[in-house]
Amino acid sequence: MRSGFEILEHTADVGIRAWGATLAEALEQAARGLIELLGAGLEGPGRTRRVVVEAEDAGALAVGFLNELLFLHETEEAGFAAVRVVRADDRRAEAEVELVPLPGEPEGTAVKAATYHRLAVERRPDGIVEVRVYLDV
Amino acid sequence: MAMEPRKIEPFVWEIPLGAVPGMRVPGIVYADDELMRKAIDDRAIEQVANVATLPGIVRASYAMPDIHWGYGFPIGGVAATSVEDGVISPGGVGFDIACGVRLLRTELEWEAEVRPRIHELVEALGRHIPRGVGTKGRMRLSRGEVEKVLLEGVRYPLSRGVGTERDAEFCEDRGVLEDARPEEVSDKAIARGAPQLGSLGAGNHFLEVQVVEEVFDARAAAAMQLFEGQVCVMLHTGSRGMGHQVCTDHLKVMDRVMPKLGIEVPDRQLACVPLRHEAAERYLGAMRAAANFARANRHVLTDGVREAFAAAFGKGPRELGVEVVYDVAHNLAKIETFAVDGRRRELCVHRKGATRAFGPGHPELPSAYREIGQPVIIPGSMGTASYVLVGTVESAERSFSSTCHGAGRAMSRTKAKKLKSGPQVRQELEAMGITLAAAHWGLLAEEAPYAYKDVSKVVDVCEGAGLSRKVARLRPVGVVKG
Repeated sequence: MRSGFEILEHTADVGIRAWGATLAEALEQAARGLIELLGAGLEGPGRTRRVVVEAEDAGALAVGFLNELLFLHETEEAGFAAVRVVRADDRRAEAEVELVPLPGEPEGTAVKAATYHRLAVERRPDGIVEVRVYLDV
Repeated sequence: MAMEPRKIEPFVWEIPLGAVPGMRVPGIVYADDELMRKAIDDRAIEQVANVATLPGIVRASYAMPDIHWGYGFPIGGVAATSVEDGVISPGGVGFDIACGVRLLRTELEWEAEVRPRIHELVEALGRHIPRGVGTKGRMRLSRGEVEKVLLEGVRYPLSRGVGTERDAEFCEDRGVLEDARPEEVSDKAIARGAPQLGSLGAGNHFLEVQVVEEVFDARAAAAMQLFEGQVCVMLHTGSRGMGHQVCTDHLKVMDRVMPKLGIEVPDRQLACVPLRHEAAERYLGAMRAAANFARANRHVLTDGVREAFAAAFGKGPRELGVEVVYDVAHNLAKIETFAVDGRRRELCVHRKGATRAFGPGHPELPSAYREIGQPVIIPGSMGTASYVLVGTVESAERSFSSTCHGAGRAMSRTKAKKLKSGPQVRQELEAMGITLAAAHWGLLAEEAPYAYKDVSKVVDVCEGAGLSRKVARLRPVGVVKG
């Protein structure tokens, strides 16, 4: 598969490995992983919000992006109908997020934050960009 | 890792210098053979060694018997760094700043008084204790009010008539950490925290109705006014979204500043800066503010517990005697003074999933506990025993006055969910005579008893190693889950 994600096992916490043809695609997949973990995927249409994240490098960018989604999830008490990463380079990502009010308590894992633990963003020999982030749950 | 830990005393293991490159001090792990084997298997031992590379770390990188793999620091890790030339690492505190446990006692006896009304009580607690993701807390605050909580901790809800002076007295630091800097707490953190004061949250946070099942130390139990058959309430929660955002914000700063200072760490989550650096002072100020929020959170929830008891028993809280035994954090960094090599030194003690455990005679303890030592509240996993311990004098030498914080996870959440479903776990707990209220049942299996280590073993190792002593064991009869 050219893009996708998987949930990584960890005794106390949980990780996401996400990949895509571009960094933007990999970030979008990481977001899908987070939303699945949270149990916060909802049917649209919702309100569209623009999310812009800036960081020193691609790793910090991935952490910052997921933390931004967690912030919206908690403060807006919302789930996600869609996340589209419009563009991303190593220091800046721009995304459109479709938020839908949570109908009740989500049936997923509560996530506190994305961490820098074993953080990795790399371009594989086959050209695919892979992101690995661990979460504090 | 180049070298295996070696046993140097019963319950004490050393990770020698050189186990990972750049270690400045050895690692010391308190464990029995089985707990050690588990720690090696899940690579937590390597994390203890990684922490030993932090600049200015003093004596050793310690791990408590409930050690397990964390993100950067191991959970159960204790690291003291020199204020003069050491660093502070927000990862050594964690995202849930000042997450902790509060034990409330009552005048009620289980068999005769509470058992017949346990369903009403758990239902009332479910109504009075907001919980789950996001959630609106018991106190909705304006921005100005949030800043007061950040600065004053439990003093702010007290000024609004919530709780009593006695509640504050029996909280670590009397419920207020000095030198908090609300101005270092971002707008985002305030936006997350403002609606959440007086809420339990989700994940491993919980409230339990418990019964004192066995008293091991009659004198200490008497000082805490605990007796066998007595009903107590244990609260486990922290600083909610406020703390998570403070850690997120300041980690980002340290991750950027650290490389410029020429500091290298084996895992990016160990990002740190010298305590004398401006970024360290700003983080410490914000961390203390979030810690004040956590104390105030447990203080406001206590009010909810009192209301629930009053509703279930139709009596006033005074008659029911719902009083704080103690409130202690297990994710925090504090500046404390210890004798090191015959010299008194100011140290920044990081406790990540470890509890402060001052011994008898410590001046910071409330007078009622000065002779017995600091109470330490150890929640077991859901459905299993919890413990009340006291600190020892020798723990100052052994672990910078620290002990365990709980059972410690033994299994990932995914694995736990694969073993049994939420409703299955619910059924089993109910078969054990435990009444439950949960935000929803799907997640119950993530926190099932089998996903954790045996808390009794962890507590016994703490006693065997001289880190703390057992006072009482409590068993759960009612659980309210986030």
